[in-house]
Amino acid sequence: MRHGAREVRRQLRESGATGLVAVLLVAVATTWGGALWLVRGWVADTLLARGRPASVVAAVRSAEAAAMVCNALTGSFPGVRCSASRPEDTKEELARWFPELSGVLLGLDAASFPSLLHAEVPVAEAARVSGWLRARGEVTLVENSRDWQGRLENALSSALLIGFTLTVALLAGCGVVVLLVVRLLVLEHSDEIAIMRLIGAREREIRLPYLACGALLGLVGGTLGVALLFAISFVLKSHGIAIRGVTPLVTVAPLLGATVGALGATLGLASLPEEP
Amino acid sequence: MILLENVTKSYRTRLALRGISAFIERGEFVFLTGPSGAGKSTLLRLLYRAEVPDSGRIVVSGQDLAAMRRRDVPFFRRRLGVVFQDFKLLRRRTVGENITFVLSLLNLPDKEQERRAYLALRHMGLQHRLSAYPEELSGGEQQRVATARALVQQPDLILADEPTGNLDPERSHELLELFKTINYQGTTVLVATHDRSLIEAHPARTLVLEKGQIVQDGWALGD
Repeated sequence: MRHGAREVRRQLRESGATGLVAVLLVAVATTWGGALWLVRGWVADTLLARGRPASVVAAVRSAEAAAMVCNALTGSFPGVRCSASRPEDTKEELARWFPELSGVLLGLDAASFPSLLHAEVPVAEAARVSGWLRARGEVTLVENSRDWQGRLENALSSALLIGFTLTVALLAGCGVVVLLVVRLLVLEHSDEIAIMRLIGAREREIRLPYLACGALLGLVGGTLGVALLFAISFVLKSHGIAIRGVTPLVTVAPLLGATVGALGATLGLASLPEEP
Repeated sequence: MILLENVTKSYRTRLALRGISAFIERGEFVFLTGPSGAGKSTLLRLLYRAEVPDSGRIVVSGQDLAAMRRRDVPFFRRRLGVVFQDFKLLRRRTVGENITFVLSLLNLPDKEQERRAYLALRHMGLQHRLSAYPEELSGGEQQRVATARALVQQPDLILADEPTGNLDPERSHELLELFKTINYQGTTVLVATHDRSLIEAHPARTLVLEKGQIVQDGWALGD
């Protein structure tokens, strides 16, 4: 047992700077992949929260028309809460949102701004309410928060796909580095391996330390990645952004790293010549 | 213990062994001699199954080496003690680790490995070099470490390929005496050497190889 541990330590020491590169690659890959996973969870929990009521905003030709449409809407959809605002209200609200432009905005004629209708709608009815509003002649524009969430979801899916592809590429890169490390070690130790065989070492006893070395490089990288993720989530928490889901990554990231390392080592060991 | 039946081995166009046959009984001490290139090392390589013969049959300790499955070879080798001409020490390991490596393959506890390694080295007068690396040792010392490694697992059969090649005459005779002592305890010993004076000083059955053939098998060396 101690002999095996000594052998693995020896391989790790001899893997040197290249081994360190493999560790860093796994650490970066798992941090990056883990961070994406956490962002995905955070966006789903907050921005894309499915249970929250949808908001529908409509631009209406006049303040009177807006109030009328609002009344008709709550009559047709009892579960909807609706409020209408005058052009002056829209102007003031825009000035509040963009304080640096407030001077310009407040100087403009109120007639330049539309009257708005705000409705809070149960999620299930958002599409029907939007359709009902679009069918009204007084309404010039309808925007639905569910539509925006859909667009955001699509954009997020594309970004995550690219991000996770990069994670896979980094992990594959680590596998290649481990492969090269093991191949170099095997090449350097070819005389020694031949002697080991001559004095009765089995293939398993020869190969296992290299395999363990590859897996350990990945494991250390994965663990480092998790530590970084915890640090990131801690910093975010101190800024009021609560991130959930770091705990499951404690197991997943090191295991993933170890698997990639072991796989790279297995491929690297393919260069080990067999006995006659 | 060792049965050779019409064994032939060639390397490309060169015929190294030409249909040799011999039988070595359990507990025998045998010299294998002959000029350089006669096939001594080839025969030993066949006996520890580093190579397989082109034709013929080799049986060692009841096991037919040509028919042996590859996965059984390590277990077969663990019952042999081989002293190589070029020592074949693991250069990245200390003297102690070179010896305990063999014992670790037998799954002995660490303490027992260390105890046996120390005793084997003390037998060779090298207990003080336990932590040295092979490159720090003289040729003679390396040969003694290689011998200690071969003996430490108490093998059934010792194969030694020019074991005295790097030793001065005094050390050579000491090593031969050691092999004789081990042989008296029941271990079969086959020593390949081209040093006729050594054979004359330690009379034993001698197989003389020339051009890949056994030309003499007996106790007295012919001229």
